[in-house]
Amino acid sequence: MPAKPQTSPSPADRLAALRPWIGVIGERRKRLVLGGVLMLATLVSALGLLSLSGWFITATAVTAAVAGYIDVFTPGSGIRFFAVSRTVTRYLERLYNHDTVLRLLADLRARVFGNLLRLDATTLSQSRASQWLNRLTADIDTLDSLYLRLLAPPIIALLGILGFGIFAGFFLPMVGWTLGLILLPLWCLATLGCARWGWHASYRRVDRQERLRVRAIEQVEGLPELLAYQAVDRHRRLWRDEEAALTQDQRTLGCRLAVSNAVVTLAVQITTLAVLLLGAVALRDGAISGPVMVMLALGTLAIGEGLGGLPMAFGQLGATVRAAERLNQQTPQTAEVESDDRRMPSGAAPSLGYHSVTVIRGTRVTLSELSLAVAPGERVGIIGPSGIGKSTLAQLAVGLVTPSAGRVALNGDDLAGLAPESLRARIGYLTQRSELFHDTLAANLRLGDPEASDEALASALERVALKTWASSLPEGMNTWVGEQGRQLSGGQARRVALARVILRNSPLVILDEPLSGLDTATSDAVKSALDEWLGERTVLALGHAREALPPCDRYLRLTTRADGCITLEAFD
Amino acid sequence: MSADSQNRRSANPPRAWLKQQTHGVERWYRGAVGCGLIAGAATLAQMGGLAWTVDRLVTYHASLEQTFGGVAVIVIAVMVRAIAQAGQERCGLECGLRVKQRVRRRVLETLAALGPVRLASRHSAGLASQVVDQVEALEGYYARFLPQMVVAALVPLIYLVAVLWLDWLAGIWLLIAAPVIPLFMALIGMGAQRLNEAQFQAVTRLSGHFLDRVRGITTLKLFGLGERSVTEVEAVAHDYRRRSLKTLRVAFLSSAVLEFFAAVSVAVVAIYIGFGLLGYINYGPAGSLNLFSGLFILLLAPEFFQPLRTLSQHYHDRASALGAAEGLQTLLAEGESLTPQEEAGLTLAGDEAVRLERVELRHAGRDRLLGPVTLSVKRGEVIALVGPSGSGKSSLLQLMAGFVAPDGGKLAVQRTPGVGWMDQRALIVQGTLAENLRLVAPEASDTQLQEALTQAGLARWLAASDRGLETPLGERGVGLSGGEGQRLALARLFLSSAPLLLLDEPTAALDAVTEREVIAGLQRLVAHGRTLIVATHHSEIMAMADRVYAIEGGTLHRVASQDLRDRVSHHDEEVC
Repeated sequence: MPAKPQTSPSPADRLAALRPWIGVIGERRKRLVLGGVLMLATLVSALGLLSLSGWFITATAVTAAVAGYIDVFTPGSGIRFFAVSRTVTRYLERLYNHDTVLRLLADLRARVFGNLLRLDATTLSQSRASQWLNRLTADIDTLDSLYLRLLAPPIIALLGILGFGIFAGFFLPMVGWTLGLILLPLWCLATLGCARWGWHASYRRVDRQERLRVRAIEQVEGLPELLAYQAVDRHRRLWRDEEAALTQDQRTLGCRLAVSNAVVTLAVQITTLAVLLLGAVALRDGAISGPVMVMLALGTLAIGEGLGGLPMAFGQLGATVRAAERLNQQTPQTAEVESDDRRMPSGAAPSLGYHSVTVIRGTRVTLSELSLAVAPGERVGIIGPSGIGKSTLAQLAVGLVTPSAGRVALNGDDLAGLAPESLRARIGYLTQRSELFHDTLAANLRLGDPEASDEALASALERVALKTWASSLPEGMNTWVGEQGRQLSGGQARRVALARVILRNSPLVILDEPLSGLDTATSDAVKSALDEWLGERTVLALGHAREALPPCDRYLRLTTRADGCITLEAFD
Repeated sequence: MSADSQNRRSANPPRAWLKQQTHGVERWYRGAVGCGLIAGAATLAQMGGLAWTVDRLVTYHASLEQTFGGVAVIVIAVMVRAIAQAGQERCGLECGLRVKQRVRRRVLETLAALGPVRLASRHSAGLASQVVDQVEALEGYYARFLPQMVVAALVPLIYLVAVLWLDWLAGIWLLIAAPVIPLFMALIGMGAQRLNEAQFQAVTRLSGHFLDRVRGITTLKLFGLGERSVTEVEAVAHDYRRRSLKTLRVAFLSSAVLEFFAAVSVAVVAIYIGFGLLGYINYGPAGSLNLFSGLFILLLAPEFFQPLRTLSQHYHDRASALGAAEGLQTLLAEGESLTPQEEAGLTLAGDEAVRLERVELRHAGRDRLLGPVTLSVKRGEVIALVGPSGSGKSSLLQLMAGFVAPDGGKLAVQRTPGVGWMDQRALIVQGTLAENLRLVAPEASDTQLQEALTQAGLARWLAASDRGLETPLGERGVGLSGGEGQRLALARLFLSSAPLLLLDEPTAALDAVTEREVIAGLQRLVAHGRTLIVATHHSEIMAMADRVYAIEGGTLHRVASQDLRDRVSHHDEEVC
């Protein structure tokens, strides 16, 4: 997924990607406004402290020179007030605003995960797991700069420039105009200019960093093969290419930001000097006093501080936009998150019917015009080589895949008209891959039935010939199964997944290669236990061979016809 | 492990480890510090020029032309300051980038050295986050914090000398505030570091939790647990928020303390100067204050604290680097503590591929898993390992592949050039089909790749996909079905020139037709003199084996060929 910003829409067009997220942030308007006020208060305090001090010292010097009188207490307490308020407002502002942002982030994470749940199996399978992970963490984290660095600070800086410019204009219109004429373009440079200048490097960085993460996962997960084949170095070369590209982008961006920061510093200092010199001319003409001249010059310095952080923030705009774009990509097709159906499945065994179903994935026709009727309580075994589309049959039945043509019906009702959650509540589906979670054995089993008692878990394990093994574990049911159940052998993981479906206790059961990875003896034991448990349920069992399935009433073979179509035929 | 890492930490704290990493980038580091010092000196000149100019204008009513010298000093100083500031950033950046690159390389080497068996209990996303994000967290420390630390120690000294020279009493005001600051910062910094470590753990757990849930998202949906897992994800995210906020509260407090002292000092100095100028203070040097010295001191007062304030802004760089260093150090130390596998003392006979002598393997905290196992495999032989799942077949193969060293006994294995490996989960690298294959045979031609794919039963798949060898594949081979992924792993076997092939349930997910094709392919490999050791349940592979061993109770038992024939014929009956 290489980013090609050169050929894509301009950065300005891409900013539209931020719109939905600005909307999300806007939901917390009260917090945002209060945070902004605190920010402004901080800037005003800094401004007050420096300019009032400058005014005070010059005024005292002038007064001393002419041996006059000056009220030292009012400005003195003003200085003390600003000194304290600057510290307090800054602390409160940072704490408050970071809390706001983290709240937003927590909300966003849950929202994005909710969106993922709404995607169908085909879309999910197109993106790789680590990519989702990155979206959930890094992309959302990148968005945190939206308010705290990209929205509030430039507004506050702009208000500061305008406010101080008008303030200065009261004393000396020329200084007001000068401030406006130098600092406003500088503001544009620090925001828009830096955004443009850092765009490509920071935009690309998001994808590059993700690719690096994917390579790292490959390296860890594929270590057995890489080590055995002595291919670790070859894979690491792939890694280094990614890393070099990432580093180069970071270098480019860093250099540009360094230059931008220097330009901002230079411009602010030169502006201060210009204000001072203009003030000097006015002083000579008697238009302003010496203290005011110093106050305006030092105030300019303080206002410049507000511009300091902008280049860094806007240089990263590309990354923020890229993150937003990627989050936008997985906007759900349906409007509502499926509500959970906590009801345990029950009821009589239903019938399941496929009527001239065609499934097209990408450009490949996975199934064409396939029909199959499973009567209530009937067990049908589907035999076919791997990759022919057995799993698609199962995914159709639970609504994970929708047919491109034809229809699938449960008890005669078209699945399209059934809510997926009520549908899934009636089906126990053993997927081809044993999806176990990095959690305890008990927690993995209870996915099937959250209310299941320990005895129920034990009896489910007994059916899959795991009870002895489970009780031999030092931590018993509280043993962690490891990532993707890797602490278990393939056969054990398979049987845990099977036990989970048994706990589900549904009237319709779909088993996709239920016995894969089991040795013959275990397989036979599980098969007969399964036969007993399946009883009067409606069953669709999928496997590469007849002996890989529990006993069925009839068997059908999924084959590729001479014309390339995939059809079902009787198995003899 | 925690007690162990505690010991290691006290022996070599993360700070020392971070310091060590500057080795090799000292030039950039010194450049950054030098630029910082130049910028500090330029600021001094600038403020002096400013005070002098104002003094001329206000006190002496000088004309603009008469202040030209001061203005020129300001302009030059400002330019030098801006350039030096950019220089500090640039040098620091290079420092950070280079350290990151080197540490990353070492982490990857360590992962490879630890091997799959030791890494099995770790979450791959957690490890990936160590390699990518934790290393990334080091950058700020080298790019910003470390150079700024020196700058913050030296530049205020320059200003202090200047202020003392102008008015020693004002200098004392600054000096009073100064030592309190590092003290406070150190106290608060220590707390922040502890919190940061906790936060890193939270981030790692967060990553693991997410990847796990996302991978199993279909399962969650199927079991109607979607909404519940959203709540769960939200709870974990809010937990992360609370932890972050704790860290931030402390971090912000440290900079607030600093800012408070800075602001109060500026205020005190300003008031002192004002009163001094008015002649209210008749003590010490106050009487000799004028607008030039007064303004100069006032301008220097905030600058005196500026480097420290900048440092405190980079304090979180230090905290996150320390947090990251903790984890990285533990990982790297784990790699260093590995004793090199000793396989000496046992040599293979000329015709031997594998030789095990009373080899034993234990799992931490569990009973003996395997052994004692004694076995000699001749080159070109086919050995089948059978036994119920979990009996230790995979562990024996891992031993032979060298992923784990035996806890007892000796072994010698023919491992050059590499060993062919295939287990139940094929590695699918992000990239094209060809890239995936060339991982094991970089020199292979397209024809050779196609040949290997054909032998693995992927010819039809290849013909059906319009981009052929250039078809992109993704993580965990989601673009491939389970059987296709396994066949890709098989194609790698055909492609590699490894003499010894270790296969862990190679046909577990294949249908009968492909299985037969694969077995035919395996036979061709044997015919070319390759040695096969296969853990399997399939009778057809057992039938192909020269010897079959059952693993029972951790030891090998030869299965007699008569028993085997019974098993096979029994199996064949079932198929027909």
